[in-house]
Amino acid sequence: MWILDSAFRSGGVDLWHKDGTVQKCHHEYDPPFYLQLPDPDLHHEMIEALEEHYRAEPCTFTTIFGECEGYRVFAGRPVAEAIEQQTQFAAQLFNVDVRRDQRFMAENGIVPCCADPDDRFSPLFEHGLDSMEIRIRDDPDRDQTCSDIEIICGRTERLHGQEREVLADLFGLIAASDPDLILMTDADRWMSKLQVRARVLGLEMQFSRNGKYRTMDSRSYWSYGRVEHKEAALIPDGRILIDTEQSFVYREGGLAGVLMASRLSGLSPNLASRFTPGTLISSYETYEAVRRGIVVPFRKSDAEVLRKFAALKAADRGGMMFQPEPGIFEEVDEIDFTSMYPSIIVLANLSPETIRDPEQGRRGFLPIALEPLLDLRIRAKQLKKTDPAIAGIDAVLKWMLVTCFGYTGYKNAKFGRIEVHEGITGRSRDILLQTKDIAESMNFRVLHGIVDCLWVQGSPVTALQERVDRETGLPTELEHFTWIVFLPLNDGLGAYNRYYGRLSDGSVKVRGIAARRHDTPEYIRTMQGAMLAVMGKATTIAELGGLWDQVHAIYQNAVQQLPSAPAQEMAISRRISRLTYAHRCIEGAAVNAYRQCGVPAAPGMKIRYVVLDARTYRVVPAWDADHFDIPYYRELMERAWIEITYAFRAFRVAGKERQGVPALRMQQQICTEQPEGRVTQKM
Amino acid sequence: MLIELSRGITLHPGSFTAVIAPEKKILAALNSNADLQRFLFLYVCGNYSRILSGIGRTSGNFEVRRPFTADQLLTVIHEASHTIVFIEHDATLFDGAERLFDPIASALKQAGREAMVILWAPASDRSFAALIRQADRIIEIIPEGTPQDRFGFASQRSCRKGGAVPRAQKTLEV
Repeated sequence: MWILDSAFRSGGVDLWHKDGTVQKCHHEYDPPFYLQLPDPDLHHEMIEALEEHYRAEPCTFTTIFGECEGYRVFAGRPVAEAIEQQTQFAAQLFNVDVRRDQRFMAENGIVPCCADPDDRFSPLFEHGLDSMEIRIRDDPDRDQTCSDIEIICGRTERLHGQEREVLADLFGLIAASDPDLILMTDADRWMSKLQVRARVLGLEMQFSRNGKYRTMDSRSYWSYGRVEHKEAALIPDGRILIDTEQSFVYREGGLAGVLMASRLSGLSPNLASRFTPGTLISSYETYEAVRRGIVVPFRKSDAEVLRKFAALKAADRGGMMFQPEPGIFEEVDEIDFTSMYPSIIVLANLSPETIRDPEQGRRGFLPIALEPLLDLRIRAKQLKKTDPAIAGIDAVLKWMLVTCFGYTGYKNAKFGRIEVHEGITGRSRDILLQTKDIAESMNFRVLHGIVDCLWVQGSPVTALQERVDRETGLPTELEHFTWIVFLPLNDGLGAYNRYYGRLSDGSVKVRGIAARRHDTPEYIRTMQGAMLAVMGKATTIAELGGLWDQVHAIYQNAVQQLPSAPAQEMAISRRISRLTYAHRCIEGAAVNAYRQCGVPAAPGMKIRYVVLDARTYRVVPAWDADHFDIPYYRELMERAWIEITYAFRAFRVAGKERQGVPALRMQQQICTEQPEGRVTQKM
Repeated sequence: MLIELSRGITLHPGSFTAVIAPEKKILAALNSNADLQRFLFLYVCGNYSRILSGIGRTSGNFEVRRPFTADQLLTVIHEASHTIVFIEHDATLFDGAERLFDPIASALKQAGREAMVILWAPASDRSFAALIRQADRIIEIIPEGTPQDRFGFASQRSCRKGGAVPRAQKTLEV
């Protein structure tokens, strides 16, 4: 049974499965939640009322900490919340907010997007989904309806013209083709608009297979110290609708990534494509818990243990970093631990119930649940080297495993605990220090280190890798740079996360510079990308010096062409964290410009704008730009240029000063990075 | 045992006191009072503490517990058995957990019968105003040079949003 969608409807679970044709199966389902009271006698009247009105039964259930005596209550969340109030929050409740379709599948061994549940952790799978791609050329920010649509479904069709005809044709094509999967640009922004317009025009929207839709509200939320925004969504029943622009999972992993996320989390692909990796890993843990008969806590009320101040300071220190010496280095190897944090969880048996004594013998829930996911990631990472189709699956697994560590310290994580988080980072610090010691004992020079990566010079590096793998018990991977540039901070010391270098396969790996940052205008990204492509031809530092003229010519050409460049290529993309700003700034002006165009902005939303005049903070949304502030963009170009010229510093220092190499004063102006990785633009 | 927040403003055991004061003021009060080392002191804060790293105490009597949810905060208050319980207010704990305003306010009041319970925030907000409804005292220390009417307004506004204005002492430093 290959399930492509699921929903809780009419007191049961609807499973849409494809076995040749798509059919819906309705399963009556009325699951209980579980209740534990510290002193049941104190609440005997409440228990009697629950038994009388909601079929409450005494029972034994299993938490990650062990078995509990309590009650199962066949009622919904409102009753659970009333129990909380009545018991003055003394009651412990479980399985109250687990999605019922997910819970039904977990309890019955059903895996979505998977013909055989035993293949759930296989990276190689196929699907027989009939798909349709809808590309809407109108602007979802400004336009309220669609008048220009391209549809790819076997053949490509272009719908263009009057709104009514365009929408009628669109709905007609969906009904005629009856696809299982629709890939649609900005689907979540368009669907509610299309629903309104269809109603006004008297048309029947055909996205759902039974005319029903589920809704997800829009919201802004904090994630890793920054505000994110999630659009509201209208999700059709019985069909997969993926927003190809907004879905993080689709962007990173493609369709294979979405289907794998669905298989692992036990959520329908519609939800898996709309959730963050953090929610996916949390859903995966929930599915695993239910599948294993472990109840999921409703509230997180068990706080961290009491600690002495000194003990807390010692434990709460995060990952280890070795600050690099800025400069250019030849023949450098990067040793990268594969999924270091999840590997530590599994190897060191770190889980909320085992954290006090991880070596007690009993395996914790987190290591048990994460082990197959970690094995799958290691296999996918190997397979993608020969099969590019696995790359999407690997990317989604990578993100899920990255966030599984963060979730151990997240306040809403069902199976998280801050001591586990600290235990993981504590062990990771020890491992990086151990690796550094091993490298230095083998006469390697350690250039740089960040949490789970170490950059070293020396040989034989494979011997080093073997010893590190053996002594730490964690798998590593090697990347060889023929040369690498570590950029400086403003104070002249090395930046942790700003570097670029040529890998042995000729490609150039970049981190933290303009070509990699999300807010860099396309024109500047292209310019720096072209420079790096030229620099990638040099296999040695000496050869790099010979490429100066070519690289400089790219910069000169870009500067000369700047006044005639398309304004759209100057668009700066930023995620806004707030709507009101205490001081005048470009970002605040951009938010106002959006408002003036009638486009409401929300914290966490991405906006794209072009600067018309930086001195007077004149900014327009990207779609309205027909010119731009040339000096402002020239300065941004110069900053990108300075990042590149740092690689040529050695030649200038050696007395071979060349025309166009910025002086040291300018090199020190390399823009500072804020924690979110944004560039501080000093005007 | 007393904590002198500022000249003439002291906190007493057996009470639940809400304090609105600048970080520097609170840090100075916690760091300068050597007497505090003698008592069991519990520091409670959320995920992002404003002042924890500035506290220079190494005494074995100084303990920390960090709730990351309002439910955990309630547990921490219930389980506290210290002479001094200092809570750094974190509004983010109450996102979507307004149902716990009253139970936590009651728990603070209850804990304040036996210990010195201090709920501190650098500025009032909706959740802070809701939590201090049962406070025995509310002390607001205004930084020098800040226009008095501005803070007075802010304080009144916060109380209105959170519910009734507490009938308790309000001390302003001039």
